[in-house]
Amino acid sequence: MIRNALKTSLPILFGFVPLGIAFGLLFQELNYPWYFASLMGVIVYAGAAQFMAIGLLAAGAGLVEIAMSTFLLNSRHMFYGLAFLESFGNWNLRKLYMIFGLTDETYALMTSINVPGGFNKKKYFFFITLFAQSYWVLGCTIGALSSEILSFNTNGMEFAATALFVVLLIEQWIMVKRLLPFVVGFIASFIALMLFIDHMLLVAIIISIGSILLFRLLNKTHYE
Amino acid sequence: MSETEYLIAAMTVMAISTYLTRLTPFIIFSSGKEGSKLNFVVKNTPPMVMTILVFYMLKEVDYLSTEIFYTLFALAVTVGLQVLKRNALLSIVSGTIVYMFFVQM
Repeated sequence: MIRNALKTSLPILFGFVPLGIAFGLLFQELNYPWYFASLMGVIVYAGAAQFMAIGLLAAGAGLVEIAMSTFLLNSRHMFYGLAFLESFGNWNLRKLYMIFGLTDETYALMTSINVPGGFNKKKYFFFITLFAQSYWVLGCTIGALSSEILSFNTNGMEFAATALFVVLLIEQWIMVKRLLPFVVGFIASFIALMLFIDHMLLVAIIISIGSILLFRLLNKTHYE
Repeated sequence: MSETEYLIAAMTVMAISTYLTRLTPFIIFSSGKEGSKLNFVVKNTPPMVMTILVFYMLKEVDYLSTEIFYTLFALAVTVGLQVLKRNALLSIVSGTIVYMFFVQM
């Protein structure tokens, strides 16, 4: 099972390592020892928030400001847990860790795959979460150390994250085969891009979830 | 507060903030008996979020430069391979190599 979960998690490797390297490289400009970049990947583990933190740390922002900005930036994650209320099982350390490791990428992957028959879903998800975080920490570490060890031109590697989401979008279509959620997601993205490009992700998620809930309420008789 | 203490304090509040956002739904809906409305939302959220994430990743693309052409080309390679072969790694790596080739050209 561990080997199968490792294989399933590999697409995340190609998204996280380049992104982690980019983070590590930028983090080095703050002139802290390299291992703090790795430590941040271990205890914070949030891509966008870590990038934002570099700017805040450089500016010497207050702790309250850092806490608030991180919370707002990551508030989209509040919707991600909804998909795993049951599949993460009962409260234990493993569940607490899987919740900790719920990033854009793990959410996207775990909602797009069918766990092979015979495997314990909770354990399978746990290993995917663990491998994904390992890739992230690896990327952060390589990036932070890279002035000494890296000579490879990584320009454009960030496309791997886009490609990952495109692949998972296709897999979602194959699984769901109903137009509605895709159309709602498309319109919500469009509106959010037009009106709030800086907070596009969170705004689009709120609009789409609001719309789908409204749709459900208006079509009550159809679903009850 | 020394530089290092500041960094450690900042990372600690970031870790707590991030964890709180991820933990919230599990606390709110811990009773285990969700209604059909929530189920409907839960069922539809992954495809919606995936659609949004793709647009989010593409929002920085400059539509007035050549970037749009090679971005679309790399996307076409990724989509084409995924539809034909259903091999996520192959699609991601191929699309990324194509994109890197054009960016670094």
